[in-house]
Amino acid sequence: MHLIDWAILIGWLAYVGIDGIRRTRRSTEIEGYLLANRSLPWWAVGLSVMATQLSAITMIGTTGQGATDGLRFVQFYFGLPLAMVILGVTLVPFLHRSKVYTAYEFLERRFDARTRTLTAFLFLVSRAMSCGAILAAPAVVFSSIFGWPVAYSVAIMGVPTVIYTILGGVEAVTWADVKQMVLVVAAIAAVIITVLVKLPVSPEAALNVAGAVGRMQALDFTFDITQQYTFWSGVIGGTFLMMSYFGTDQSQVQRYLAAKSADQARSSLLISAYWKIPLQAGVLLIGVLVFVFYLFQPPPLLFNPTHDRRVKEAEPAQYQQLASQYSAALAERDRTARGVAARDAASTRDAFRAADTRVQAVRTEALALATRVTGEPSKDVNYIIPHFVLFDLPVGLTGVFIAAVMAAAMSAIAAELNSLATASVIDVYRRWIRPEAPDATYLKASKIATGFWGLFACIIATYAVSLGSLIEVVNRFGSFFYGSILGVFLLAMMKKANALGAFIGLIAGMMAVGIVNFGRPDVAFLWHNVIGAVTVVVVGLGLSTIIPTKPNSLTQ
Amino acid sequence: MPLTDEPPNKPTPTFKQTLIRVMATQVLWILLLLLVQLHYSR
Repeated sequence: MHLIDWAILIGWLAYVGIDGIRRTRRSTEIEGYLLANRSLPWWAVGLSVMATQLSAITMIGTTGQGATDGLRFVQFYFGLPLAMVILGVTLVPFLHRSKVYTAYEFLERRFDARTRTLTAFLFLVSRAMSCGAILAAPAVVFSSIFGWPVAYSVAIMGVPTVIYTILGGVEAVTWADVKQMVLVVAAIAAVIITVLVKLPVSPEAALNVAGAVGRMQALDFTFDITQQYTFWSGVIGGTFLMMSYFGTDQSQVQRYLAAKSADQARSSLLISAYWKIPLQAGVLLIGVLVFVFYLFQPPPLLFNPTHDRRVKEAEPAQYQQLASQYSAALAERDRTARGVAARDAASTRDAFRAADTRVQAVRTEALALATRVTGEPSKDVNYIIPHFVLFDLPVGLTGVFIAAVMAAAMSAIAAELNSLATASVIDVYRRWIRPEAPDATYLKASKIATGFWGLFACIIATYAVSLGSLIEVVNRFGSFFYGSILGVFLLAMMKKANALGAFIGLIAGMMAVGIVNFGRPDVAFLWHNVIGAVTVVVVGLGLSTIIPTKPNSLTQ
Repeated sequence: MPLTDEPPNKPTPTFKQTLIRVMATQVLWILLLLLVQLHYSR
């Protein structure tokens, strides 16, 4: 990286840290620390919600997915707008007016302490793991590119984040998110413009070429529950997932609980409802354009520089042979791609597809070799965009993009840490250990909890690499709970449901998802949310009807 | 039920109006993606 890029990166990290510390003067009581005294305007909360969602995994992984798989992943978000509207008239005003600190606190008022404690526990475990994963993804990539240990990358992102989150609480986190969102959008725009300028063909021709190999296919209307991303899994499964995530996950709930009013809380969600789909499509489009860029500019055989180096050293002859085959295949693909761009005969498209298939075949062989040599999973989707950013973006923009990736990671982690601390203090410490302590005690406990979870996340992130598919495990682990937790909150809004029904229903929901997960692992995980939620509601309502209990004040 | 707290002299959208606006926007985005797909995947 150029000196200017380092300057931009360091300048950004310093600015975020200093601004976070500057906000500590307003966070001296627990309500100020955890909920910014419920004073945040809707647009700040809204941008913060979007920033939290746009993690480094989005900046690196989703863009890489766009390069290898096209626009299909955008369907994952099709359930979000409807989910936001439903939440806006159900859970959000309910929780905001209840003046609770956590979503799980509300569950005790409605049901009982054990339902609250179980859901809080599930949240703490799954969020803590995902916090580590969010930190691990960019850390691993940076370490490979810059050649330094993973622990350094983890520290560079983790330490400033933990500091400003500990010192400033949710107010610091939210305003940092607003700035980070501006940087992220600027970085995305800059990359798109740079790619379009550097392409030897027009943007129209570039998209035409991408379309020839299926990269512009955003919508898949086949109803197949084993297909990961289809229109139906997005609209149905996605609605349940988004309702669960934005309605019941403390990392999101805490955002809108910090809004000035229930109306402002609702409005903050609507920003995501309107803009999430085009934003995600934009992110995927970056990947598609980078794919087209590498049709005309020879890409590396292996995008992971560490793997590339190790394979070259361990198996030089085999590497050389693959590299020659790769060059030849790339040259043919380049030639046919230009033909498609120039709208030559229709047969050129077939020739281009065939050439692209040959290139992918050589890459697959190279990736298999890398797995044999390194003993690690060699899938290098996450390294495509970082490679482009480091070698093909102009000086200055590289720094902006890397800063944006760090910003995305930091905003996601900060939200997680804040919510982990809140749930720890409110749902565990205050509920079970020190129920009658003064506010100052809880404030101190919140800061200690933030530091603890921050350290936990950094340790998980540092050792994530050696655990191989931890990110995969975390995703599947999380998918066990989201639907079931949503089911509990849905039950909470049904008068007939009682505490026993909710508790047993929650366990039944998780068991149902477990059975599907192990019995039919080919079922796309988006459907797990539907299975979990429906099971909880059906079992919970059924049990509540068979064994009714005296209604409490919240159900009357 | 009003869904935003705009100034009182401006009519605030009801839930139904907001739902229509949001879903209409979503349909527009999806249609746009479909058009793009059809145009470039020939």
